[in-house]
Amino acid sequence: MSDLLGLALVTLIIWVGLFAYVYRVDRKVRRLEES
Amino acid sequence: MKIGDILKWILLVWMVAVIVASFFYVHPAEGFIGESSRIVFFHVPTAWVSVLAFLISCITSVMYLRRRDPIDDVRASVSAGLGLLFCFLATVTGAVFARIMWNAYWNWDPRQTSITILLLIYAAYFALRGAIADPERRATLSAVYAILAFVTVPFLVFVVPRIYWSLHPDTIINTRGANEFDSRYTQVLMASLAGFTGLFVWLYTVGSRVEAIRLRRRQEVL
Repeated sequence: MSDLLGLALVTLIIWVGLFAYVYRVDRKVRRLEES
Repeated sequence: MKIGDILKWILLVWMVAVIVASFFYVHPAEGFIGESSRIVFFHVPTAWVSVLAFLISCITSVMYLRRRDPIDDVRASVSAGLGLLFCFLATVTGAVFARIMWNAYWNWDPRQTSITILLLIYAAYFALRGAIADPERRATLSAVYAILAFVTVPFLVFVVPRIYWSLHPDTIINTRGANEFDSRYTQVLMASLAGFTGLFVWLYTVGSRVEAIRLRRRQEVL
């Protein structure tokens, strides 16, 4: 169970990290498009 | 808040739910070692997204040859890049599964061999792009190549692995034409496919906008 929890946590961290990175790039692109 | 922003936050929550469900809602499938069967929720969607990306690359390449608009070339290149990335992820997740099930990361199974050929075909697309300096000539030759490259995708992904005997577990689209997945597996897999498709659409949109800005700036300099 603890192995499974660890794997789930790692997967969640990767997903949230990817989301945050793409979201930041998306906002930056929007600012560049508006300027 | 715009509709696009709301969709992004929905995608975040959706994928969190998919990850939690793939680890805690479904039970390990029979006939698989340990928890290895759960990898299906990440392996199948990455493979699906790579096929979708290669298809979009082919469509935008056709559009480029018809309209000669550089933005279509940019879209084709971004889509092919994402296809290559997701194809690589499908290969890696497949290799991890192979290590658990068959004690070796690589077995030269028909599926592993065909996906390697697919990776090489699309890697050559970028080698071709990098080798031509003239933008117009590069766009034209890349578009022709992307169309020809996509012709191989249905054979390498759907036909070849079904002709030869393979270690690969039965897919959801099997030769018997029946979905033999457990209902919980089907639910989470469909949700994951939808989430990964949403992620691809977002990455494709952002990537295309970045490359469009780069293209505009290059044109301003010239």
